[in-house]
Amino acid sequence: MFSLASIATMAACLFLFGVFYAVIANFRAMISKAETRVGFTVFFDEGISDEEIAEIGEKITYRAEVSEIVLTTADEAWEQYKSEKLSPELIQTFGNDNPLENSASYTVYLNDISMQESLVRYIRSIEGVRKVNNKKDVSESLTSINKVLTVLAIAIIIILLGVAVFLIGITISTGVSIRKQEISIMKLIGATNFFIRIPYIVEGILIGLIGAAIPLIILNFSYGVIINALQNNFALLLSGTDFVDSGSIMKVLIPLSIGLGVGIGFLGSNITLGKQLKKIEVKT
Amino acid sequence: MRKIELERALSGEIEPPVIRLDDVCKDYDDDMHALKHLNLIVNKGEFVFVVGSSGSGKSTLIKLLLKEIGPTSGKIYVMGKDISRLKKNAVAKYRRNIGIVFQDFRLLPEMTVFENVAFAQRVIETPIKKIKRDVPNILSIMGLSERLDAHPSELSGGEQQRVALARALVNNPMLLLADEPTGNLDPRNSWEIMRLLEDVNKRGTTVIVVTHNKEIVDMMQKRVVHLNKGVLTNDYEKGGYSNVKN
Repeated sequence: MFSLASIATMAACLFLFGVFYAVIANFRAMISKAETRVGFTVFFDEGISDEEIAEIGEKITYRAEVSEIVLTTADEAWEQYKSEKLSPELIQTFGNDNPLENSASYTVYLNDISMQESLVRYIRSIEGVRKVNNKKDVSESLTSINKVLTVLAIAIIIILLGVAVFLIGITISTGVSIRKQEISIMKLIGATNFFIRIPYIVEGILIGLIGAAIPLIILNFSYGVIINALQNNFALLLSGTDFVDSGSIMKVLIPLSIGLGVGIGFLGSNITLGKQLKKIEVKT
Repeated sequence: MRKIELERALSGEIEPPVIRLDDVCKDYDDDMHALKHLNLIVNKGEFVFVVGSSGSGKSTLIKLLLKEIGPTSGKIYVMGKDISRLKKNAVAKYRRNIGIVFQDFRLLPEMTVFENVAFAQRVIETPIKKIKRDVPNILSIMGLSERLDAHPSELSGGEQQRVALARALVNNPMLLLADEPTGNLDPRNSWEIMRLLEDVNKRGTTVIVVTHNKEIVDMMQKRVVHLNKGVLTNDYEKGGYSNVKN
């Protein structure tokens, strides 16, 4: 009876954990994708040669936190500016002149946006670099969203773990008090504490294992269905959003949930047993 | 009375006794002295009645021998080992040398007769093959061969006590402690249990019986140790309850 209640609560906790993990994983994937789209621009000193620009490019690419650099030549910069900002009449007045002659630039994309500031410092120290347009606000807000999500995830996991350990503890202590007489006789006959503990620890681990398996099965089947439903019903809103596939989610969630379930089961039963068995002495 | 024997045992002249209590005191608090300077020797193969009124220290003696509690002072040797020095994790193994029978039988109601006795072997991790051989054997000695599948609720008081005795003896203990084993039994069943205890004793097990049953103590003419308010007041080699002087 109590074991069933424990399994149900453990399953509910680990289901919530699974849902939370899936949401966080998707959110983080979206942020990571956004991070790779946020770049900053590096401009060069006047009169710098193409070789020198290429050399600077090599130095930047060499850095581990850099995912990609894109060179925009002065001509490309002028073409882009013209098409975006100027009217055809105004363009004609420039003739063949390129007023952005010294505006060749690299756009630098990062693997990890939190490293942007140190990278910018490094690039500014390279000879031939005139200016770095640093989109500090974007990088900072993305980094802080990431941090908040991580802290939130850890806090929720700790709360769920605490609840589950407590519930397993109640189950085990109920089991121990029901079998008080049996345990007392066991002690009297010469059973070791290890022998007395084994069935309860196995019970705790089984509760954890079954409590982990149930939400995993549900999540495995429902994840794909929910993602499909979201994509079908909110196609416009979610266009361009790549959800993490079910396989990747389960690859992490299966060992994590089973590990948590077994760990909580073991921990909950062990802590409770230590307290409960001390109370049961041989009654003569 | 047994002073000479005590001196010989202490000097190592004779085989170490099964039980030796040297000046044992047990206080539960400042005003409650359960045992006062108790010296007692029980040799291998002895059958001893421990008698005394309520609060005389009989239960405390059993608790001390089972290592449920420790003495306030003094030493307790069981089978030559100082049990006051036993570490917590060694207590379980120590108890395997002792069989115990209670007034209220303490059988597990959901288990059959066979399972109750087998339980004693299971907890000390005896191989199943041996359990299947030993349990029917001991139950046959106790006259319960026909009741293997019965549950305790289906048995008479005498039968339940015989199951408890079988459970206490199935692991061949050196020492059997019986705490008021006939307390819940009618005279016929009481004698049946005492006859079995005597048989067990004849096979070499040292038996200590805590009892109030005057008739049995008088009739059996075994060693009688009398405790009064925690003090050993009388120790008769072959005595009866009627010899006891308060």
